[in-house]
Amino acid sequence: MPLIGQLALALALVLAAYSIIANVIGARASIPSLTGSARHALWAMCAMVTVAVGALWTSLLHSDFSLEYVASYTSFSLPTVYKITALWGGQQGSLLFWTWLLTIFTSIVAFQNRRRNSEIAPYALAVLAGLAIFFLGMLNFVTRPFDLLAVVPSDGQDLNPLLQNYWMAIHPPSLYTGYVSASVPFAFGVGALIAGRLDDSWIRSTRRWAIFSWFFLTLGNLFGARWAYEVLGWGGYWAWDPVENAAFMPWLVMTAYLHSVMIQERKDMLKVWNLVLIGMAFGLTLFGTFITRSGVISSVHSFTQSGLGPYFLTFLITIVVLYTGLLLSRVKQLRTPAEFESYLSREAAFLFNNLVLVGIAFAVFWGTLFPVLSEAVRGVKITVGPPFFDKVNAPLALALIFLMGVGPLIAWRRSSFDSLAKTFASPAIFGVTTGIFAFVAGLREWYVLTALSLAAFVLGTIVVEFRRGVTARRHMVSESVPVAIVNLIGKNNRRYGGYVIHIGVVLAFTGIVASAFFKTEVKQSVKQGDSFQVGPYDLEYLGIDTSETPHLESIRARVEVRKNGKPIAMMEPAKLFYKRLQQPATAVAIRSTPASDLYVVLAGIDDQSGLATFQVFLTPLVFWLWAGGLIMALGTVIVMWPNVRERAVIAAAVRASAPFEDDAEIVPGGD
Amino acid sequence: MKPRQKLSTRAAALMMVACACAIAIPIVVVAAPTVSRQEISEGLTCQCGCGLTVANCNHPNCEFSVPVRDQIDGMLGRGMSGPQIIAYFRGKYGEKILSAPTTQGFNVLAWIVPFAAIAAGGALVAFTVGRWRSKSPAPTPTDAPASDTDVGNGTFDPELRRQLERELRDRI
Repeated sequence: MPLIGQLALALALVLAAYSIIANVIGARASIPSLTGSARHALWAMCAMVTVAVGALWTSLLHSDFSLEYVASYTSFSLPTVYKITALWGGQQGSLLFWTWLLTIFTSIVAFQNRRRNSEIAPYALAVLAGLAIFFLGMLNFVTRPFDLLAVVPSDGQDLNPLLQNYWMAIHPPSLYTGYVSASVPFAFGVGALIAGRLDDSWIRSTRRWAIFSWFFLTLGNLFGARWAYEVLGWGGYWAWDPVENAAFMPWLVMTAYLHSVMIQERKDMLKVWNLVLIGMAFGLTLFGTFITRSGVISSVHSFTQSGLGPYFLTFLITIVVLYTGLLLSRVKQLRTPAEFESYLSREAAFLFNNLVLVGIAFAVFWGTLFPVLSEAVRGVKITVGPPFFDKVNAPLALALIFLMGVGPLIAWRRSSFDSLAKTFASPAIFGVTTGIFAFVAGLREWYVLTALSLAAFVLGTIVVEFRRGVTARRHMVSESVPVAIVNLIGKNNRRYGGYVIHIGVVLAFTGIVASAFFKTEVKQSVKQGDSFQVGPYDLEYLGIDTSETPHLESIRARVEVRKNGKPIAMMEPAKLFYKRLQQPATAVAIRSTPASDLYVVLAGIDDQSGLATFQVFLTPLVFWLWAGGLIMALGTVIVMWPNVRERAVIAAAVRASAPFEDDAEIVPGGD
Repeated sequence: MKPRQKLSTRAAALMMVACACAIAIPIVVVAAPTVSRQEISEGLTCQCGCGLTVANCNHPNCEFSVPVRDQIDGMLGRGMSGPQIIAYFRGKYGEKILSAPTTQGFNVLAWIVPFAAIAAGGALVAFTVGRWRSKSPAPTPTDAPASDTDVGNGTFDPELRRQLERELRDRI
């Protein structure tokens, strides 16, 4: 298996190199057979990497400890599911997994564009193959997943206990999918710049890829936060750790890009800016990988540190320099006469939305790198932690939420104060009412009051927009309200799917603000049969159960939760001990309701006194962070859902951009 | 106002209040007074390697954060203020223990640069938009806003109207 895997990786590298040469020469000399051959090489490259992944998975599942990777990240007793997820649990495996995703996406792009985008696609595929060459180069020469050990150990070292969690089965794949798929619109941007096809066909052709990337970046961040919430045991989910920041920044920039391209699609403006944004989004995905693997910045999430930092940094700088040079060389051709009538317009709202989103991304970037800068300039190590990021980003988040309410309802081109007053009156009243109610009920924190008011304002604008659409449909077609809502979303999925995403953002934002401001923490040591109070709950410690498997030992406390004297739940926080690694870990118990989460950690058990120490957090509305995230994902699915009319528009745009291929088959919406 | 409209307005107002309650009540119910130990320990970074603040260190028996929290309690009990306690720990462990940069000297850049960059970006946007506006042709009387709407009066979004007409053509 190791030999097959390493050979497959070597072949994949050769095929990637060939596909670049064939694509570029084929495109320059207009030789379709050569670009066709390049496509086949890319498919073969994907097949070879798949073989390598299969070989490593087989070795992991069979506990072949002759492989250094298998011995380092698994053990005989490791449950099968974690032997599978160990593929991305270590340095070499996660790079191989990344490369596999890249080659799969490249193959799909090659297939989608086999009869269209003949001017841009070969260059875009060459760029994707170039990225694959870097990763395959790493896997072949720098950090090989199939290196053998001179002495085969009797058992492996096991996987880090923090990674032995079901969220780790889906968090890294989601995040990697988001990272890697961002390279497709980037590659098409580069292709468009090289080919000189500077209209918006590259955006239309890769729009779904961009949304697909955003979808998985959203899920990746969400699952990562949930993993931290369940595994790290401190009652929180986001600590502004460098690796968390690295995952968050591409999401922010991709969000800005998805809004900004709407202006280009509609008004043929912001061509340079959109290319800058997609370049930034892609660059930040590489920056995230650099941070995770370089060890330049210390992080609680850096499970795969290595000496890859200099390679990634060189690669990142090379890409930034080349892309900037390419963009600058085309700036004159990218300039188009811009029509802009008023600051009171949707275009202006989107521009300011971009400003705030990129501003937050910059603030996060700056805060993440500032310790390195401080050490370089002053020679003093400092920490830039949650208080900095919270203070800097808090006002920006409010501005963003406000613009999220304003943007979708304000008119394109220009609006008047009268029409704005008419459009926003109800949502504004709703927002103010919410704020007043919260104030009367006892809330005094100005930030929370403002955040709640703005959240209600945005929800109000969305309700107004749905009401307007439903009324319009019912006016023109006799439909019941539910049917009208379904048709409204179905016929105009981009617009209304976007509103669903906004609902999710508002709910998640509300959950974040409430959980950040009003978390209650109680630490209590109790004897068996004793109770203690946390908010409206009584918690009674009933005793412990112990269990043992070949892999781990666990001590599980039984805690009965009562409210108003009535038992409502049995919670079982536990302490785990991983035998192979001789490492303890915590398994928290969470009782989640829409109003609040009761989060119980078994902090310790004193064998002599019999006292069990519990750390309990009561966090309001955190449920809505997860629910909001899932609603965002649902909205993204609605946006991505194939739409016949949109396919026709894409097909027309693609046809227009390929005037010499009138007889070629168009694959609409295959992006 | 017609009776039905009045009813729907009342219903909408009631729904608004209900939603406002739904948003605000759970927060108010469990809101707790701010604990100063919490504030102080949020300002210190745990040195055990967890990467979190002293307040949030995820090791229940952490050799650093647990004694530091106890120390903070003791100092508060002796009447020391928050800044005095922070200064004590800074003197003992150095600047790295602070969980955010100070607002003095070089560190002030950490706080200023993000907002300066956004202000510069805002100015650039305003300048660019100003130039675009001056070059754009004057709006004609037909340049009505695209989505200024009053469904109640029978006028609505021209974009929606066009879409509906297209759909009607498809359906009928």
